[in-house]
Amino acid sequence: MIDFSMYDVKAPEILGYKCLTCGTTYYPAPMICRKCSSRRDPVTNKKWETFPLTGPVTLLTWTRVWNLPEGYNVKYMLFGIVEFENGLRASGRLGINNPNIGMKLTARVEESDERPGKPVNIFVFE
Amino acid sequence: MTARVGIVGIGHTRFGNSSAYDLVDVMAYAATDALVDAGILDQRREIDQVFVANMASGLFCHQTSIASAMVSKMDMEPTPAELIENGPASGASAVKVAYMAIASGMVDVAMVVGGEIMRKVSGWEGTDVVASMLHTEAEYNMGLTLPSFGGMFARLYMEKYGCTERDLALVAVKDHDNGLLNKYAHVQGACTIEAIADNETAGVVNNYIAEPLRIYSTCPVTDGAAALILVNMDSPKAAMFKKKAVRIAGFGSATDTHCVHNRKDPLMLNAVRIAGEKAYKMAGVTPKDISFAELHDAFVILELAISEEVGLFERGKSFLAVRNGETSIKGRIPINTSGGLKSKGHPVGATGVSQVVELVRQLRGEAEEGRQVENPKYGMSVNFGGFGNNVVAIICAKD
Repeated sequence: MIDFSMYDVKAPEILGYKCLTCGTTYYPAPMICRKCSSRRDPVTNKKWETFPLTGPVTLLTWTRVWNLPEGYNVKYMLFGIVEFENGLRASGRLGINNPNIGMKLTARVEESDERPGKPVNIFVFE
Repeated sequence: MTARVGIVGIGHTRFGNSSAYDLVDVMAYAATDALVDAGILDQRREIDQVFVANMASGLFCHQTSIASAMVSKMDMEPTPAELIENGPASGASAVKVAYMAIASGMVDVAMVVGGEIMRKVSGWEGTDVVASMLHTEAEYNMGLTLPSFGGMFARLYMEKYGCTERDLALVAVKDHDNGLLNKYAHVQGACTIEAIADNETAGVVNNYIAEPLRIYSTCPVTDGAAALILVNMDSPKAAMFKKKAVRIAGFGSATDTHCVHNRKDPLMLNAVRIAGEKAYKMAGVTPKDISFAELHDAFVILELAISEEVGLFERGKSFLAVRNGETSIKGRIPINTSGGLKSKGHPVGATGVSQVVELVRQLRGEAEEGRQVENPKYGMSVNFGGFGNNVVAIICAKD
């Protein structure tokens, strides 16, 4: 039997957005460009460019959380805010156990299904 | 604006665990207290408009349309009633909207009631409900919660200014000392700096929630309601109230980026600063004129940061003032005389109203012995929505 569900599997990704009118980049997507007020059509992204956000980041701050919400069946999780080399920032999970502010990490994206509903894509910085 | 708007009635339930009760009952109880305080229980239909503040009754209690339900419960039909939802800043937003309704001339007397029952769901569910105010894709989906942002903010603040975990504990001790004397406070228990910071066992008593924040750095999960009656002080209806009005001298509100990571400096609470500046300007006062303040200490680090953003202390210096006792009841600028969110509790939709109730109690001289500020003239509240992305500041005055 051929398992068609195995075909066309896409790696999970989280996108950054670039306004092609003025070149300003964003994460997450805005509706109106902060710099030139160009409007983004969320269906077609016409006049906007998307690009996957991954790669080297710098850790700006972090925490280890012990009281997790419903769905997370682990003792604790680490979270952080990072800055990508292109200046964009993001919040996400840390895949390391002893972080320090200013340390260099790498961002990757994985799928999370802890919460009810459809799986979502999340950042892991490690 | 030319209208003078004053507060002539206050009501408040004992904050705590009210999960056995109906949200509408709890709100109506606080509202009835306010009618009694104002001396208009049998003239309640003189109220022209009711504004109800609530964040998430649909999620916490599976109840909706609670404004009209509460009016009906109080036999106040056909008084108009609407719900104001602005996250944890819903309460102060409702006060602001009521002020604007009166100042517009459309309304002479307005009632504001804030309420939330959060403990009908488990702690895990409650944390999830509150986290739903975060950016869905870029924050909530990652597993982030409000305490997560409190922890990350605290780490940055402590690293930059040299504030320690013991300094955070000192804020909690001060807030609990005040809450111990407040008949409405959720946690009416004293804590000592030895028990939560200095002793060898302190880490067990005061365990981590979101490092470096500990359980005594964080507000409890609380149910309750608070209510106010506002009047146009220059309208004929003002004469029907038995107590002298406490005037709302000014208010200001502002928003900030939904995603915390998109703030140029994650330590800057721009919406707090702007809301405070607007409130000072409208009231015609400066931070030096403020006698005491109720600041949104959902996490004690926020009491410190907000007090700096609204100009009560220099940036990075507020924790030194706490060490010196400057923010205690007898200090230079008492902060969170009610016990704050830390001790009094934080039923999210009620908090902004509850803060203003405390301003009125202090300005009337009605606070309990031991926590009454001496001869206050101006009181300020700051109600903080999201992680600072929607903030309302209010200044009340004793004329």
